Amino acid sequence: MAERVYVGLSGGVDSALAAALLVEQGYEVTCVYMRNWSRDLPGFRCPWAEELAEAERVAVTLGVSLEVWDCEEEYRRTVVDYLVREYARGRTPNPDVMCNQTVKFGTFAERAFAAGADLIATGHYARVSHGAFGASATLLRAADVHKDQTYFLWRVGGDVLNQALFPIGGIASKAEVREMCRERGLENADRPDSDGICFIGPVGLRTFLLDQLDRKPGNIVEWETGRVLGRHEGAFLYTVGQRRGLDLGGGPARYVVEVDAAANEVRVTADPACPGLWCQGLELEDVRWVSGEAPREGDYLVRTRHTGALRRGRLACGEDGSARVTWTEPTRTVAPGQSAVVYDGERVLGGGIVCGWVR
Amino acid sequence: MAVRHVYLDHAAATPLAPGVLDAMLPYLTERFENPSAPYARARSVRADVEAARGRVARLVGAKPDNVTFTAGATEANNLAFCCVDGPVVTDVAEHESVLGCACTHEHVLVGVGRDGRVDPAEVAAAITPETQLVSLELANGEVGAVQPVREVARFVDAERRRRLETGESVPLYLHTDASQAAAHLSCNVASLGCDLMTLSAAKVGGPKQVGVLWAADGVRLRPLVLGGGQEGGVRSGTENVAGIVGMAAALELAMRDRERESRRLEGLRERMRVCLAEAFPWMLVLGPTRARRRLPGLLSVSFPGLDARRLVVLLEREGVSAGTGSACAASRMRVSHVLLAMGLTEREAAGSLRLSLGRTTGEDDVTYAAEAICRVVRAEAARAGVA
Repeated sequence: MAERVYVGLSGGVDSALAAALLVEQGYEVTCVYMRNWSRDLPGFRCPWAEELAEAERVAVTLGVSLEVWDCEEEYRRTVVDYLVREYARGRTPNPDVMCNQTVKFGTFAERAFAAGADLIATGHYARVSHGAFGASATLLRAADVHKDQTYFLWRVGGDVLNQALFPIGGIASKAEVREMCRERGLENADRPDSDGICFIGPVGLRTFLLDQLDRKPGNIVEWETGRVLGRHEGAFLYTVGQRRGLDLGGGPARYVVEVDAAANEVRVTADPACPGLWCQGLELEDVRWVSGEAPREGDYLVRTRHTGALRRGRLACGEDGSARVTWTEPTRTVAPGQSAVVYDGERVLGGGIVCGWVR
Repeated sequence: MAVRHVYLDHAAATPLAPGVLDAMLPYLTERFENPSAPYARARSVRADVEAARGRVARLVGAKPDNVTFTAGATEANNLAFCCVDGPVVTDVAEHESVLGCACTHEHVLVGVGRDGRVDPAEVAAAITPETQLVSLELANGEVGAVQPVREVARFVDAERRRRLETGESVPLYLHTDASQAAAHLSCNVASLGCDLMTLSAAKVGGPKQVGVLWAADGVRLRPLVLGGGQEGGVRSGTENVAGIVGMAAALELAMRDRERESRRLEGLRERMRVCLAEAFPWMLVLGPTRARRRLPGLLSVSFPGLDARRLVVLLEREGVSAGTGSACAASRMRVSHVLLAMGLTEREAAGSLRLSLGRTTGEDDVTYAAEAICRVVRAEAARAGVA
């Protein structure tokens, strides 16, 4: 009997092709559209109804069933609330990382297995090497370095990954993905990639945060001198390293060095060489390792941005879910709340949430 | 490959009826002047707006001064509810614009029966001495149920007389949304016995975003849109001249052809129903069974166990455009509130298709569409292991 796979279908090309390939490989495929966010906040148009209609077309073309699973409660609690809470603290969270952990490889996986799935699949660009039954899988970077999405998958446990498939993770390029969709009559081959935080859409994060959090005017000050350069509507609207949108009335380009939510102060500098913008390493908290075990202290590759540079650094894990990455040379700071993902060659070991810098 | 296109969603939108576009075009080109401007060319545009108002008024047996043009039926419904502050009574199967407005007032939502109709006695029982507005759709656009507006009007009138005799000053109005009904049923305001009536151009072969709220002499409307004081101060904003003229032309045509067209559509709908019912004895036909109690061109059916969203995709590939529930509910991909209110199960509601015929629908279209529906339902039923 064919193995039963539940595949998350988003309405985009990646998951459409993933589902198509699984059908071709002889799996018994059930598609699921996860409805994570359907509220139309005034001014926010969530495109989910159109996405679902696209997903339905894909399922009909493939001749497989599409179920709609309501994951709103889980999504709101673990992704939206987390996002707002972190910004309120002056941090810059990665909601997609949480969504993968708690919704796609959390709720979705649990429900799929409960419904009788042998495997789950998504349209992520990543590869997985399965271990023995009940063992941990190895998560590997995608063949397409420009699309590799492992930065968003580091919190997913190896046990779940051992029952997960990434059918398009081995494809060399997005162009090839589109071509393969076209060959299969999947009409959405030309749909643009979905980008950014899905529920916020094109209106942007600033508008969303101002809708969720009270305005809290405060000062933008010069990091070096403490001199007040201007005002802001809430420190939570700023991100470390941000250059645009500071609205300081001309003058040189300035960078955000620190966002101090407690003091409601945003500290900036005009000097790209400003010591505040550079660090020797990162302090991490809330670490997770795909295999469930912390790697030995040693040199690894670390990435702090989706498809960003893989930098060599020394990793040392603490007892309490903390870790420290020490760079080999001074490196730009990373906004607290962002993920630092640790790789051993192609392999994703896990990572942590940036909570401080080693000066 | 789709060889032809059959449009079966006239309850969602209608194409412009013959001649309507020609009637509208001059006001988009050479006769573009603002009807409020003082020079002769603009005065003649004003005269045409007022003539259109008069034509619409005549069609519903009303005086021109009581006709307010709005940007569609949703706005007209909002304007109707805006004229009272107190409690309102309406029913669960109303259009979302009415339900949305009801929620801004203290409200009672009367239930509907399995056929989608309210029981007039239940509406009467919901009216209290404080009730200020009763709103009841003349015909429902989802299953085509014609509501007993005249019977409810008698109860409203009795309550009004009671208040008059006991010296109570609380006003009470009856509003009816006739958007879906206008092309098929008489909309004479005196014979319906209502105080407020909504009409939509988009459902009768006119342009979108044009509607009318008719209000009886005794009703004082309160504006939602403030500004230059157009439409007697009730609805500011430069008049949508082309739309207004188009609405008058479309409504005239619809009402002129009403009886003949209704008979024709009823015949086509029955052909469709019989064809599907013979092929699928397990299919449910939704809405009232008696012809007088349903819109002639609307066939709402359910294939329990099938997923209507898939049927829509499969039909679109056969060139057939059909709806699932109301357009509003469909865009949210939620099960229709009307169908659930009628007591359908989720399974029955999820398998429901709304086929609405109109002026453009011919016999060949019905034959083609019925065959296409049979094909896709058969395929889906086999796939889903139903029946």
